[in-house]
Amino acid sequence: MSGTLDVVLRLVAVLVAFLVLPLVVGQTEHKVMAHMQGRLGPMYAGGFHGWAQLVADGVKFAQKEDVVPAGADRRVFQLAPAVSLLPYLLVLIAIPVGPNGLVGQAIDAGLFFVLAVMGVGVLGSIMAGWASANKFSLLGGLRTAAQLMAYELPMLLAAGSVAMAAGTISLPGIVQAFHWWWIPWQLIGGLVFFTAGLAELQRPPFDMPVADSEIIFGAYTEYTGLRFALFLLAEYAGIVVLCALTTVLFLGGWHGPLSGSFGWLWTLVKTALLAFVVIWLRVTYPRLREDQLQKLAWTVLIPLGLAQIALTGIVKVVIS
Amino acid sequence: MSPVPGHGLAKGLAVTLRTMTRRSVTHQYPDAAPQLPPRSRGVIGLFEENCTVCMLCARECPDWCIYIDSHKETVPPAAPGGRERSRNVLDRFAIDFSLCMYCGICIEVCPFDALFWSPEFEYAETDIRELTHERDKLREWMWTVPTPPALDPGAEEPKEIAAARKTAEKLAAAQETAAQEGTAQETEPREGDA
Amino acid sequence: MTLAAAHPGFMSPSGVEIAFALVGIATLGAALITVTTRQLVHAALWLVVALGGLAIEYLLLTAEFIAWVQVLIYVGSVVVLLLFGLMLTKAPIGRSPDADSGNGWVALTVAVAAAATLVWVVVDAFRSTWIDLGGAAQGSTKVTGAVLFRHWVLPFEALSVLLLAALVGAIVLSRRGAPARRAASAALGALSGRGASSGPGAMSERAAGSERAAVSKRKTGES
Ligand code: SF4
Ligand code: SF4
Repeated sequence: MSGTLDVVLRLVAVLVAFLVLPLVVGQTEHKVMAHMQGRLGPMYAGGFHGWAQLVADGVKFAQKEDVVPAGADRRVFQLAPAVSLLPYLLVLIAIPVGPNGLVGQAIDAGLFFVLAVMGVGVLGSIMAGWASANKFSLLGGLRTAAQLMAYELPMLLAAGSVAMAAGTISLPGIVQAFHWWWIPWQLIGGLVFFTAGLAELQRPPFDMPVADSEIIFGAYTEYTGLRFALFLLAEYAGIVVLCALTTVLFLGGWHGPLSGSFGWLWTLVKTALLAFVVIWLRVTYPRLREDQLQKLAWTVLIPLGLAQIALTGIVKVVIS
Repeated sequence: MSPVPGHGLAKGLAVTLRTMTRRSVTHQYPDAAPQLPPRSRGVIGLFEENCTVCMLCARECPDWCIYIDSHKETVPPAAPGGRERSRNVLDRFAIDFSLCMYCGICIEVCPFDALFWSPEFEYAETDIRELTHERDKLREWMWTVPTPPALDPGAEEPKEIAAARKTAEKLAAAQETAAQEGTAQETEPREGDA
Repeated sequence: MTLAAAHPGFMSPSGVEIAFALVGIATLGAALITVTTRQLVHAALWLVVALGGLAIEYLLLTAEFIAWVQVLIYVGSVVVLLLFGLMLTKAPIGRSPDADSGNGWVALTVAVAAAATLVWVVVDAFRSTWIDLGGAAQGSTKVTGAVLFRHWVLPFEALSVLLLAALVGAIVLSRRGAPARRAASAALGALSGRGASSGPGAMSERAAGSERAAVSKRKTGES
């Protein structure tokens, strides 16, 4: 019985994290972006520096009418937000936060699980893009699919490098095997992984699929109300997942001073720092073109990923 | 090209990070009053006592948004046996601020200094018809007109002051010559200089 | 099937077995809809369901690694490519009247024959062998890796040669458009680093000809 209770507790904790952390990231983005542009950002909602802005946004979204365009493919259109959001929830279950089993659910092939399930999220965007009966949505969907060809391979290569280094593909196992000198060793892989991840999340500078100044909001153009909010939530959940994953794979997760009792804190701090970097990059760089991303991926990221794998292999052979 | 690859990218990141640590430039308007520059064009104030109902402003206004009604009144002669005078009396003076484009022509054109810019700008209404403001309201705004800022140190003198000063100088010079003529006659009078 | 009845759990199926059967039925249903629906994109989406169902079956057989690779490669990439291709055509929302090739009966015959062969082979090969999944995980990553690189390394390498051939072929096809470069040996060019960069180009070039290709080409890039 306590086993069931344990599982339920873990799942509830993951759910809470899933609902809270993206909002925290979103609010941070509001504020950090504002200050980087010499503004203040939201100041009213909630009283203190607009901390409740996203709650207010949620209330607003919930009140809006849920419009399905007349020419749309109803079922697919309505299903799409769930398809793009749920994978991130599933991924969050497998991410270890602290030592001694502080993880939603330890999965043997955790790394592959995470990458596989994250890849499914893209389907949501494509479904939305196709089902909206809108040419801008269609273009957004096309760009999403085209983008996949750029980021999928480098991401897998970089992740594969870590798996090689650790000799396991279970996420807690990888963190367990971590030593501080892995950071310089896997640095290139980490950069490749993070960049490819940004492209997967469609975050600036790789936000061509939603490019608001060109194709309105890409695949999400026709969405309103809660379904639209779900897409936004998926984006921020994606940031949390990507940052947590980079932390776990390349930054040693819970390792750090006092990791025995404060391991979970280290994971959170590292994740938060990476999330800050994601926002920082958004504010700093302009949007690339789709072909520029392809060029970057195929001429820079993939060769770098391969080089990282070679380096990992050599070092691995030398030290064993 | 920069010597180090990625140099420009790092520079960009530095710019945004530096901006983040600086004070933001946002004005928190409803909480803090804005610092308006002098001569801000907020609303037009009317100083009725100066207005002679010459209608110049209403005629010059490019979008005809000044409404003036008046009637003539005969004023009894000031002194017995004198002539009766007629005078224009203002009945209505209204400006439709939903049409006004704040060009300031009416204020420039008024020969009697009856119209002034006030920096007051919070007079939004929920109904466009209520933006036509009558003379009492325009008069209230008159009291919010600030004293004009001092001229720049090297600026040309205002015309009226220059004229007044010239008159005063002339007068002083005339008095001086008169005094000189009265006391000492030996010196040559030099009126031509004044 | 009657032969398998001899094994211990068939008459009193465990929860996993029931789940296996149910997911199997759902997968089969999704696969049937995939090939019969007249709505092209729906067919692709039902294919996702079928492939996902297969992944769950793998999971239930404790072949975790295969399951996630299935999701990663097929659901995450192949179907996305499929959808991408469909979007480049004029796949309408709703039914496509010309989605039926008229070969339905032939396809059905081939499918049934293939299924019968597979079922027969599997049943004949294992008969009533009872594989206990409760013990050391046979499908775990470690075991899969060891088996793959010890016992099956030759087929594995043969497969990679096949993939390499496909890659070179794609590059050759994609470079046909550039007449200036045609003089240079295509295969040589393909193997020297430039090959990688023309990967996406290949895609956009093949897309040309369909109506929306002009749009997609501008988006996906002709570097
Ligand atoms: S400011 Fe210009 S538009 Fe407004 S009332 Fe005066 S003359 Fe008319
Ligand atoms: S121009 Fe001046 S004096 Fe003449 S009517 Fe207008 S406000 Fe009155």
